[in-house]
Amino acid sequence: MSEVISASALRELMRDWLRQGKQVFGPRQVKPGLVLYTRLTDPEQLLVSGFIHPSNSPKEFVFPRHEVIYSYRFEGKDLQLLDAPDSFPEQIVLAVRPCDAAALPILDKLFNWDFQDEFYNRRRQATTVVTLACLSHDDSCFCTSVGLGPADPRGSDAMLLPAQDDEFEVRPFTEKGEASFSGVTRTSSKQAGTPSGPAKKFDAGQVRTYLSENFEGPIWHDETLHCLGCGACAYTCPTCHCFDIVDEGNAAGGIRAKNWDSCQFPIFSLHASGHNPRSTQPQRQRQRLTHKFQIYPEKFGDILCTGCGNCTRNCPVNLGVLNVLEAMKNGQPL
Amino acid sequence: MIESLRATCRRLLETGTAQVVIGYGQADPGKAVHPVFIRRPEDADQLTWNDQCYPNLVAYLKRKEVQSLGKAAIVVKGCDERGLIVLERESQIDRGSLYVIGIVCGGVGNPKLDKCKSCGAHRPRFANEILGESSLLQDGVGQKWQALEEFLTKSPSQRMAYWQNEFSRCLKCYACRQVCPMCYCERCLVDKNRPTCIDTSPTLKGNFAWHITRAFHLAGRCIGCDECTRVCPVGIDLRLLNQSLAKAAEEQFGYRAGMDPQAEPLIGSYSLQDKDGFIG
Repeated sequence: MSEVISASALRELMRDWLRQGKQVFGPRQVKPGLVLYTRLTDPEQLLVSGFIHPSNSPKEFVFPRHEVIYSYRFEGKDLQLLDAPDSFPEQIVLAVRPCDAAALPILDKLFNWDFQDEFYNRRRQATTVVTLACLSHDDSCFCTSVGLGPADPRGSDAMLLPAQDDEFEVRPFTEKGEASFSGVTRTSSKQAGTPSGPAKKFDAGQVRTYLSENFEGPIWHDETLHCLGCGACAYTCPTCHCFDIVDEGNAAGGIRAKNWDSCQFPIFSLHASGHNPRSTQPQRQRQRLTHKFQIYPEKFGDILCTGCGNCTRNCPVNLGVLNVLEAMKNGQPL
Repeated sequence: MIESLRATCRRLLETGTAQVVIGYGQADPGKAVHPVFIRRPEDADQLTWNDQCYPNLVAYLKRKEVQSLGKAAIVVKGCDERGLIVLERESQIDRGSLYVIGIVCGGVGNPKLDKCKSCGAHRPRFANEILGESSLLQDGVGQKWQALEEFLTKSPSQRMAYWQNEFSRCLKCYACRQVCPMCYCERCLVDKNRPTCIDTSPTLKGNFAWHITRAFHLAGRCIGCDECTRVCPVGIDLRLLNQSLAKAAEEQFGYRAGMDPQAEPLIGSYSLQDKDGFIG
């Protein structure tokens, strides 16, 4: 027995959410060949099949790429400080992939570690996450290698599993998830099958050991010299979370804002003295991999990677986390 | 063809003509093609050539990490080679110490990229050595501004709405800058923060400032390799901006960046015969 919802009822439900003033985000065909998670204003925009993974990640709905922390205005000789809005409308992130949802509990730890990020936490509290289980995967996917899978519930308030006849099995995991689908599903005698994920491609424990033993190893220069140093991997990664604090304004006033940043940019680690402790691109690639598979697990217990594969798909020169880890495997039996 | 490419690579490394060959490699057939830096003759077999060889490798020549490998040989397509010409004219490379392996290219991508359909440089012209067959695509030079001309049929307000929509997606990952062989500044204007010249925020204002500034810095310099457009993770068609300025350079000054190795760089030269009808 299972609870199911038809594709058309799901769109009706989404229409209700929009009518109630909730913000809805989900996958959308933005142009031919490009699917992105975006804000949706019409149920017809929602894409629930025909794609593997959107080119971006839904992290920006809780951790926007640009967020004003406060603003200021000069009035004569007075300075007026203005708080940024700190209440956020209820939002539903719909039909996100399980790998993207799994990133949220990982980010929760970071944003509540030595400092509680009130912007992140308030957005997060206002968010309901509805995942869409994966029926297919591509060569870039590797969720099963980092302990996840195509229907893993981590980070989901509710999950939709594609079933037969244009229906989805609805599996709520939290009160928020229950509430979102209460009264709109029907009981069915059928159950959606268990989707199969990509074959396991490496052992994360062995990667961690390799990293701790090969800080100065030749692999970094040999395998990552072609990294061009853009942020396409980090900015489309569901778990990368680095940010910069900037001041922008003019003689009348301005803002202090939090913007995404990436360890792949040379200026990320550039000191005011001119010294750069990570002065070459292979060193910056080593940082990214080590943070994901050694530093973050040591500190927070989670791998800072959910195997979504976006770093590989979006890399201008076909370098992604997976390629480097596969090279490690070729160098040593991983 | 691939065998002669590998043989050339071996020869260059064995004779010391080059200490590194910058080319395309592939771990296994069917695996992704990526740039490789071959330093030992026995590694020459890593080199490959097929229609997935997208990146313009000229972008690597200005990188410290690559320069430190020593004297380079580089594999270029005809379109990429235009970048070498501009870099040389802008005194950025010593062409004499660079060995250029040109590959006759029938176009990359499946289906072929738009730039390949209107390519006027299937056959590299100034390489030290040219490899590959000469069964070329028909040059489609007449259609090279097609995308731009279609875009310009829109009204100014429609075009503004288009760019607002496109730039609203920009993440400022700077993939457009990093793949560009002409974006070789050691410290980009947008990375300067004492004082800040361009808002680093990925807001609509900051994104307009970034893309328009970059387009103007590429005026008369963009070689039309379209790498910025290919790599944009959010699908912004930056080619339209670049074409707009490239078309102006061609129509106003009869100049196409990287086509004539003797021509003075457009932005770096002045002639009394320059047209000035577009001023005021």
